[in-house]
Amino acid sequence: MVPEMDSNIQLMLYLVPTLIGFFLVLPIGKLLANPLSQTLPYLATERGRLFSGLILTGVAGFAVSIQTLWISSKVSEGGNFCASNTVFSCDDVIGNANYNVDPIFGLPWGGIGATAFCVFLYLAYSSSLEPNSEWVDNYLKLGTALTFGGFFVIALLISYELEMEKICQYCTTAHIANVAAFVGFYRLMKLNDSGEWNEDS
Amino acid sequence: MKHIYDDEADIRTKAAIRVMSLFFVGLIIIAATTSPVSTGTKAGERAPALEGKFYNGSGGWTEFNLESYWDSNWKEGDASGQWVALEFMDTDCPYCVRSAEDVSQNAADFDGSNPQWDGAIVNFVASATQLDIQGHDSSRAEIEAFRDKTTGQSCASSDCGSRPGAAHAFPYIDDLDQDNMKKWKVGGTPSYYLIQPDGIIAWSSSENPGEDLRDAILGLVTRESAQTDGA
Repeated sequence: MVPEMDSNIQLMLYLVPTLIGFFLVLPIGKLLANPLSQTLPYLATERGRLFSGLILTGVAGFAVSIQTLWISSKVSEGGNFCASNTVFSCDDVIGNANYNVDPIFGLPWGGIGATAFCVFLYLAYSSSLEPNSEWVDNYLKLGTALTFGGFFVIALLISYELEMEKICQYCTTAHIANVAAFVGFYRLMKLNDSGEWNEDS
Repeated sequence: MKHIYDDEADIRTKAAIRVMSLFFVGLIIIAATTSPVSTGTKAGERAPALEGKFYNGSGGWTEFNLESYWDSNWKEGDASGQWVALEFMDTDCPYCVRSAEDVSQNAADFDGSNPQWDGAIVNFVASATQLDIQGHDSSRAEIEAFRDKTTGQSCASSDCGSRPGAAHAFPYIDDLDQDNMKKWKVGGTPSYYLIQPDGIIAWSSSENPGEDLRDAILGLVTRESAQTDGA
């Protein structure tokens, strides 16, 4: 028999990489990256740190979005995953049929999140593989614009949570990942414009 | 011969294939481990929420929670699970007033107190709205009078106390703002839904014109005799 993992412990599998990724894309990410740069040489440069943080948050954001899509499917079956009487009850938020799909196309928010993070991942990953290509500049601008657009979606979803008086901790992790991705894309875009793109540190 | 190729395009394709693979792996995991049921008001769909205050004869108007009726562990054929028969009605709708007698009879026959009925308990719930028709001017007092069959309020141009059938002993939800009716996409009143103990809609009057709620209960609700026959 496979032991069941508490949903809040399981959340850490997504939250911890998201926060590490967020830390790496911040200017203070150097503090974390420097001791690791001997074993992970790409963390020695600003560009490497930003791409690493961005890809890490992209993967974590994608994974947590897939998990929310899974939770909404499970709740629709009549099961529960993270129901709680406290304000932190993702089942109540993700399982609420009035709010768990987008108001225009009726697509589940988890699926939209997973798709969005895949796009961010593609932009970041392809740019990291060929950082001096001409198209990288456009990819970084597009990534910055898309993640900025994510803020409006986050605002809408937070307004739903306020209306329900419940917080979905899995959704919040995805929101943090979007903020981290915006910071990463924005700082990469600025670095690319600054002429320090190929500097060693 | 000069060979022209694009290294950059190759990198982007490689990245796209890897990211898309990740995406499809995620979707495959969901498809393999879940069987989602969409929320809606057709048979086979999960019943949407019903919100509002309800009146059940005493204690005034309190918050209604349809989900409290559901048992996620219920399995088809289990006669111990309790079904829900939901009626959308308007106290000023003449047809709703006339059908109140059938509703009284059905509720009495299937609520578990009838020794002739060997099937699962069917809990009746009514959601009382106010249709946008001239002369349909309802209120909580009118809903109470309709349910309890008391005098002093007008239901479809007659005193509510004179409506056919006995007083109802089941909850009436205040849907005077039509929120529930719109959410359930109810086209007219009365409309009936028979819902399984796990919250899945088994039957609706809109999908089965010509069939009444009683026939649906007799045909769909789990019977102990059926279990015995099958054993």
